[in-house]
Formats: sequence, C-alpha cells, structure tokens
Amino acid sequence: MELVQIQRRLVDYTKSLFMEGFLDAQFLQLQQLQDDSNPDFVFEVVSLFFEDSEKLLNELTIALDQPNVDFKKLDSHVHQLKGSSSSIGAQRVKNACIAFRNYCDVQNIEGCLTCLQQVKQECYLVKNKFETLFRLEQQIMASGGSVPTIELGF
Amino acid sequence: MAHTLPSGDQASDQDKWDSGGLECNGQLLIEIVMRNRLTALVVDGDTTCWVLEQELLHSYGVQTLGVDNSRDAVDLIASDAEFNLIIIENILPVLNGLEVTRQIREIGVRCKMLEVTACSGESERQAFLATGVDVFIEKPLDPDHPKGTRWAVSEDPF
Repeated sequence: MELVQIQRRLVDYTKSLFMEGFLDAQFLQLQQLQDDSNPDFVFEVVSLFFEDSEKLLNELTIALDQPNVDFKKLDSHVHQLKGSSSSIGAQRVKNACIAFRNYCDVQNIEGCLTCLQQVKQECYLVKNKFETLFRLEQQIMASGGSVPTIELGF
Repeated sequence: MAHTLPSGDQASDQDKWDSGGLECNGQLLIEIVMRNRLTALVVDGDTTCWVLEQELLHSYGVQTLGVDNSRDAVDLIASDAEFNLIIIENILPVLNGLEVTRQIREIGVRCKMLEVTACSGESERQAFLATGVDVFIEKPLDPDHPKGTRWAVSEDPF
C-alpha cells in the first residue's frame, strides 16, 4: 500500500476512535508531549497503562471474590484505574470506572461484578484499538513517512 | 536559595504575559522557568499518571522529582528539600493525600500545592482546600493548570 494511503487510513482510524468514544481529547494532549527527544512517549505511556491496569483488574477480581468484600479497597483500585485511564484519554474505560465506583459507594456486589466485566471488556477493546493504531504508525515510519497529526476540528 | 526575578524584568514580564497570546506565553514561561530553574515534586501512586505528570512539567522545562508513596514524600520535605510546586494525588500507599498535605503544611512548607485526583466530590474539594492545597483538580491533568501555576509560582518571592 502507498504511504499516502496508509497515512490516510491512520487519520481515518484515529478519527473513528474519537467518534466511537474510545478516545477523548486527553489523548491529543498525550501526543503533543511526544517529540524528537521523546519519540516513543505515547507508546510507552499507553504500554504502562495496560501493564498497570492488568494488575489492577486482577486485584479487583480477587477483592470481589472475598467472602467479606472490602469496599474501601475496591474503591481505591477503581479510583486509580479511573485516574490512569482518564490520563491517557481512554474515555470508555473511564466511564465504566465511574459506574463501578457508584456501585462501590452503595456496596452493591452484583453491580460491582457487572461493572468489573464491563471495565475488563473496555480495556480489552481499547487495547486492540491502540495496537492497530501503533501498527499503522510503524508501517508509516518504516516507509520513511511521518505520522500525520490529528486536528480536533472534525 | 533565591528565586526572585531580577527586579528590572518583573514589570516587563508581566506586561509581556498580559499582552501575549498562547504561543507567546508558552515561550515566555519557558524563559522564566529556565532563568529560575523551578522544581516540582510529584506524588502519585499510579505509574501511568506519575510519568505523565512529570513529562507535562518537563515540557515546560520544570525539573521534577517523583515519589509514589506518602512516606517518601513526607521524608523528602522533612529533610528540607525545596520545591516550587508540589503535585499530589489523593489515594496513595501509606497515608492518603489529605494527610500528607496536612503534614507538609505543618512542616511549614508554603509553596504552591496542586491536588490532582481521579474523583472529585465537593466535600473532598473542601477538605483539601481547608488543609492547604492551592488548587484542586480532577484528573486528567491538563496543561493549562501547571502553566498558570508556574507563572504564579515564579512571581512569588523566596
């Protein structure tokens, strides 16, 4: 495929992620922090997020499996996940965390279990989206091109 | 350690800031920061946020030190390490952010403190403001907040 076509595809794909609510404007802020002195910044931060979130999701699963659920602990894990997901612009994950916290507040275990599934699902989906995004970027770089920047004016 | 701007420049920096657009202010900020070598302490237990917050500050030329738990934060401050700005998350290992803020203020530190948290309720906000943070922000930390604070900090006489 021609370089221009791949670049076009990347732009369209990224826009679709915004349209579908997977990403929000915070992701653009992240991209702005990437520069020549820090060329892999976005990839690194996103990778960090998925490493951390996997641990947090495991902790959440274990915590909800206890005979006496510690809602404070549950809440602080979800709080952390909400913070980091919002920091990379993973909007749907963040929203799932907000719902999760509401159930923690009222100590509703069934609600929490449903939300946990929801959060896991959203993390899985957005991870795949990011992988596709990075793959397209790599293809562009390998062809000697530069990654087009997205304007939030669409 | 003196952090004052040379007095001759003070008025003109303010004028430049007030009359400048966003691009101009960003540039001016970097100049001021480089002149004054401002430093910040970032306290956040979550690695992703920790990296991001420090990188954001670096992009403005601020030197940062990061810790991921309350004990290290309080120890650092208690050992007279000086910072122009402290950014602190609420949920931390060991003590929560509110308690750390209280302890830091009790030690007598008067620099700007920014509370950055994933969840903001009004009562949380009030509690933090009462303990002595200057600004309470819900995550994600957007660049405008540290920008505005950097300016305010560089104006403070030390």
